[in-house]
Amino acid sequence: MTWLIWRQHRAEALALVVLIAAIGAALVIVGQPMHDLFPNGASRCVPPTTDRACIVGLATLQQSYDFAAPMLALLNFVPLAIGAFLGAPLLARELELGTWQLAWTQAVPRMRWLAAKLVALAGLTVALGAAFTGAVAWFRQPLDLFGRFDITGFDLSGIVPMAYGLFAFAIAALAGALLRRSLPAYATAIVVFVTVRIAVATWLRPQFRAPITLTQEIPPGSRELRLAAKPLDWNLGEGFADASGKHFSELSSTIWEHKATDAGIDPATYLHEHGILRWITYHPADRLAGFQLIESTLYVGLAALLLALLVWRVKRRAL
Amino acid sequence: MTGNEQALATEGLGKRYGKKWALRGCTLALPAGKVIALVGPNGAGKTTLLRMAVGLVAPTVGTVEVFGQSPTENSPQALSRVGFLAQDHPLYRHFTVADLLRFGRSCNVRFDEGLALKRLSQLDIPLNRRAGALSGGQQAQVALALALAKRPDLLVLDEPLASLDPLARLEFQQTLMGAVAADGVTVLFSSHVVHELKQVCDHLVVLNHGHVAVQGDIDDLLGQHRLLTGPRVETGPRKSGSVIEANHADRHSTLLVRDGRTALLPGWQEQPVALEELVLAYLRRGIDQEATV
Repeated sequence: MTWLIWRQHRAEALALVVLIAAIGAALVIVGQPMHDLFPNGASRCVPPTTDRACIVGLATLQQSYDFAAPMLALLNFVPLAIGAFLGAPLLARELELGTWQLAWTQAVPRMRWLAAKLVALAGLTVALGAAFTGAVAWFRQPLDLFGRFDITGFDLSGIVPMAYGLFAFAIAALAGALLRRSLPAYATAIVVFVTVRIAVATWLRPQFRAPITLTQEIPPGSRELRLAAKPLDWNLGEGFADASGKHFSELSSTIWEHKATDAGIDPATYLHEHGILRWITYHPADRLAGFQLIESTLYVGLAALLLALLVWRVKRRAL
Repeated sequence: MTGNEQALATEGLGKRYGKKWALRGCTLALPAGKVIALVGPNGAGKTTLLRMAVGLVAPTVGTVEVFGQSPTENSPQALSRVGFLAQDHPLYRHFTVADLLRFGRSCNVRFDEGLALKRLSQLDIPLNRRAGALSGGQQAQVALALALAKRPDLLVLDEPLASLDPLARLEFQQTLMGAVAADGVTVLFSSHVVHELKQVCDHLVVLNHGHVAVQGDIDDLLGQHRLLTGPRVETGPRKSGSVIEANHADRHSTLLVRDGRTALLPGWQEQPVALEELVLAYLRRGIDQEATV
């Protein structure tokens, strides 16, 4: 079986290894100058810092490497590519060409055949995901100084990409079994994966735990009218509220801000006199690891569910 | 293998896809050591029956046994005893012939690679060629060599000749018959071509609309059936169970009957029936009549 799995899937496996290696090389080439900004290591420059070299490094990073995070965000397709590329052909190719009848009439019972394939290919998905997330983790070391709740810091770091990969693998494998053809299986995997990813990232993820909301009076004479999140926190929104604590819309908040600056007196004092409060809603930085664990568990759970469906379908021989 | 052993036995076997029954109420007892043809039009349920016999498809109702073991359980032992050649002889097209042999070796407990190599070299099929680059006839031969290398007790072939040109067809038949003679393997193959059956097989199952229309040893079937010609009578398959088919002309009637050897009425003549006519007569009968047999 081991030889058969390797022989059948080596083309995809090698293509993915080349892809990950190329991405890794590109990340090293682009990322090395960023690392050079912090000769003592980026981890020693976590803001707020008073270290002179760190402040210079952070400023240069912000000015000259503002492309790095958006560039990295493009790599969000990688876990999908790994999973779908390994998952879709698993059954679709056998069904497409009729070779399932060849494979399942040898002396290997089909449940053992399926189990061996799932373990090998899901394992490869995780291994490739680990290599990818390792490269990204190194590349992001300087960028982590700006916080890790963004689309690359959260979605491409730690165990999360491996969970995404497994999820993509499971959708593609199940779609392949249902649609009996590889190409529609890839297409289905892309649509479902992107939909679920966006839904979870924008809607579900902020609710993994109740966010913290801070509401306070604006101290007269304060230079900052609004509250700012601490550098590594996940800022979900901020603005003004009326005396009862009811949040204004962003538009109303902006209007109040303009009124205050145009009032001719100290803006903070003006807002204070009008009973305006300021608020901020955020997740503190130390929730990151927990959130990543919740997100990974969610995707691994979904993958397990889809693979259970696949096994059930093959077992009852409805193919 | 004893002479009376049954290679394949089914009891009330049926398979439903959605609301449509592909096969229904199929009860068969196929003897070991014979070459058995499964004949029927397209959509008669042949492929479904064969897939259930090799464990690819699970029955909706009824039981199926191959040499006393249920293929549905999918155990390595049961799988080892059966060789299967699916319709259009599917192979991994990007595998070389050598790869395919290695596939056979790695997925089987017993796999007679020497036998396969011998067959392939006799046919001048190069081992380093990709399966997809071989001709249709060669692909069928490779698939057959793989199935035979399992040294199966029962070899099941689904429409093995359908996609082959006449020359490849002949070569394929020769290889197959050679294997039967050498190993005594029981062969069950499906076909919708009725002629030429008599030369290759000795047992016949006719399947129509998902039901078994008739089955038996070909010699027995030919002995039991005869064509009677005589003055026009108002009888037909609906009136008499022994009349399989009736053709009425102005003055006389021709009846295909299955009645053993009863004496003839005056004015009637009998003649033997050809296998092809016999099969066609059963295929022309409606489902309602089959139920009464």
